[in-house]
Amino acid sequence: MSVPSPSRQARLKLDGVWKSYPRWTPGDRTLRGAFSRRLPLLVRSAEQLWALRDVSMLLAAGEAAGLIGHNGAGKSTLLHLASGVGRPTRGRVLLPENTASVLSLGELFDPDLPGRDNAITAAMAAGMRRREAHERLPDILAFAEIEGFEEAPVRTYSEGMRLRLAFGVVAQLRPDVLLLDEVIAVGDMGFQSKCMEHIRDLRRKGTAVLLASHSLDQVAEECDRALWMERGEARAQGEAGEIVALYRTAMQHETRARTPTDDHSEDSAESGLLLGTNRFGSQEAVIRDVALVSPAHLPVQEIAHGSGLTVSFMVDPLDGVLERPVVSVTITRTADELTCYDTGTDGEGVTLGQVGEPLRIDLAYDGLTLLPGEYWVDVGVFTAGWGYAYDYHWRAYTFRITGHASDNGVFRPAHRWHIGA
Amino acid sequence: MTSASVPASEAPPLRDAHERRIPAPVFWELVAHLARRQLDTKHQLTLLGWAWPLTRQLAQLAVLVFIFSAVFDLGIDDFPVFIFIGLIAWTWFATGVGDGAWSITGQRHMILLSRLPKAALPLVAVVVPLVDVIIAFPVLLLMLAIGDELRWSLLLCPLLLPLQALLMAGFAWLAAAGSVFFRDVPNVVALGLTLAFYLTPVFYGLKSVPAKYEWVLELNPLTTIIESYRALLLGEPGPGALRIALVAAASAAIAIVGYLVFQRLEPRFADHQ
Repeated sequence: MSVPSPSRQARLKLDGVWKSYPRWTPGDRTLRGAFSRRLPLLVRSAEQLWALRDVSMLLAAGEAAGLIGHNGAGKSTLLHLASGVGRPTRGRVLLPENTASVLSLGELFDPDLPGRDNAITAAMAAGMRRREAHERLPDILAFAEIEGFEEAPVRTYSEGMRLRLAFGVVAQLRPDVLLLDEVIAVGDMGFQSKCMEHIRDLRRKGTAVLLASHSLDQVAEECDRALWMERGEARAQGEAGEIVALYRTAMQHETRARTPTDDHSEDSAESGLLLGTNRFGSQEAVIRDVALVSPAHLPVQEIAHGSGLTVSFMVDPLDGVLERPVVSVTITRTADELTCYDTGTDGEGVTLGQVGEPLRIDLAYDGLTLLPGEYWVDVGVFTAGWGYAYDYHWRAYTFRITGHASDNGVFRPAHRWHIGA
Repeated sequence: MTSASVPASEAPPLRDAHERRIPAPVFWELVAHLARRQLDTKHQLTLLGWAWPLTRQLAQLAVLVFIFSAVFDLGIDDFPVFIFIGLIAWTWFATGVGDGAWSITGQRHMILLSRLPKAALPLVAVVVPLVDVIIAFPVLLLMLAIGDELRWSLLLCPLLLPLQALLMAGFAWLAAAGSVFFRDVPNVVALGLTLAFYLTPVFYGLKSVPAKYEWVLELNPLTTIIESYRALLLGEPGPGALRIALVAAASAAIAIVGYLVFQRLEPRFADHQ
C-alpha cells in the first residue's frame, strides 16, 4: 500500500473549467440598453463567448506550472477564477483556503489611499489579523523597495511600484498555493531575481505555484510544468521545457503563415528587405530605420573589438495599436551561424505598454567583446507572449568586429596571464 | 512506513476557489480599517477637515431656519432644534444610501479582494457617515441646553440608530448591487434622495401636513424615525408604539430583501467590471 508523500498532495485542481462572460455592448449597462434589448434570451446565450473551454489540470505541493499563450488566450481568466474572482460557468476550481495571489489586471489598490494603508488592506484581505499586518508593514515595504513612498497615494505609483507592493504583501505569507499573473516581469532585474528566489524558497516548503508569464525562458527555467493556452483551451500541457519548445516552433510557423506573400512595401528596393526572404511577420506593424551606430551616434559597419555598439530602430504600429509588444535583438556569427547573443525586452523586465505611435528603440551594448569577425543583427517585434512576429528582419544587417584574432571561441573576456610566483 | 520519512504535513483541504473567506475576526477588523481609511481620505486634504460635515449641516440649518421662520412662518416651537434633529438624521440617511450605491462600482479594486464578502462594502458606506452624526451631537445637546430642553428621554435616542441603520443598509445593498448591472442606478438614487428630502418631515412636522395627505408621508419609514427622534429629544407626542413596531418590521424586511438580492447577484459582480 502506498502512502502519498507530502510532495504528491494535490494543491490545485481544475476540473473541466468553462467560463463565459456576458457580452456587453456599451449601451447594455444602462437601463436604456436593457429596455431596447429585443433578442430573446435563447439567441443571446447561443452567441456566448467562451473565455475558457474545458480546462483541467492538477498541481501538487511544491510544483510550479507556467501558463503560456497569446494575450486573450485565457491565462488571466484562469488565474482570476483560481483567485476566487468570478465563478466558473461549468466545472470546478479547487484549492486550499490558504491561497495567495497577485493579479495584474484591473486595479490592485485604492488609488487615493497611501501605499501603507493599501498594503494593510491587502494583508488583511489575505487573512492577516490587524495587529500582524501592522507589525509586518516594515517588511512589506522593505521587500517592495518603496520605503519613503509609503505615505504617497498609490495613484502616484508606477505600475512597477504597485506590483512590487502587491508582491511585498504576498512575500509575508506562507501560502499553500501562490497565483501570479505576469507580475514578475514588471519589476527590474534585481527585483525579479529576488521574487524568483522567494518563490523557490516557498516551493521547497511545499507551496504550489501557478504563474502566467510572457517570458518563455522564465517558464522553461523555473517551472516543472507548463500549460499552453490557446483561445480558451488547453492546447498542450506537460514538462515545461517541452511545452515551451512546442510553443516556439508553433510561433515560427505562425509567423511564416502570417507573412504576406506579395510585397507591397515601397521601400523594399532601397532597404534590401524582401518579404519571405529576409523579412517575416504579419506586417501589422513594421520595423524601420534600423541602424547600427557607434557610441558617438555615427552609423558604423565596423567596430573595434570591445567598443560599444547601439542597435537603433523604429517600431511603427502603422494604423493599429500594439498591446505590450515584445522586441528582440539577436547577434549571429556569419561564419558558422552561431547565435552569440539573443535578448528580448520581456526577459529583462522592459515593458513597452501600448504602442500607438512610432516608437524609437535603442539597444546599447556597452562593450562588445565578441571575437573579431562578421556578424548579423536580427531585429524583431512580436505580439505579447511571442505568439507570432509582426515584423522580423532576418540576417538583413551585418557588421564587422575588427582586431587581430589569435584566439578561438565566441567572445574574449577581459583576462591576464600570470606566470610563476 | 519507515521512521526516517518526513512527517507528512497535514494536507490542506481543497475547496471551491470562490468560496474562500477570511476568518470572521479579520473580517470585522478589515471593515473597521476600510471605514477608518475612508474617513481619513474624506477629510485629510481639506482645510476644515473634520469640521466640514458639521459646517455643512449648520449652514443648511441657518438657511432653512431663515426661510421657514422669517419668510414662511411654520409656527413650530424651538424651530432651529426641530430642524437640526431632522437634518442630522436625514444627512446620515442620504449620505449613507448615496455612497452605498457607489460602494461596489466605485471601488473596483475591492473585487480583487476575493475573500472579502462584498456585502461589507455598502455596510461600510452606511457606517462611515454615522461619524457626522456623532460630531453633530454635542452641538445638538448645546442647543437643547440653551433652550432648557434637556430631557432624560434623549438617552433612548441611540436605540433608534440601529433601526435607521437597518433601513439604510437595505437600500444601500439594493442600490449597490443594481449599480453593477445598470450604471443609471446611482443617478436614480440621487434623484430619489433629492425628492425624498421634501417628502420627509425634515424642515416641517407631520402636524403641518393636511390630514388627507398624512398617509403619504407615513408610508415613508424615515418619517416615523425622525418623528421618534423629535419625541425623545423635544418631548413632542411621538408616533406611537404600533407605528414604530411597523416601521421596525418594514426596515428589517427591506434589509433582508436587500441582503438577499445582493448575495444572489454577488457572484456575477466580477463578470461585469
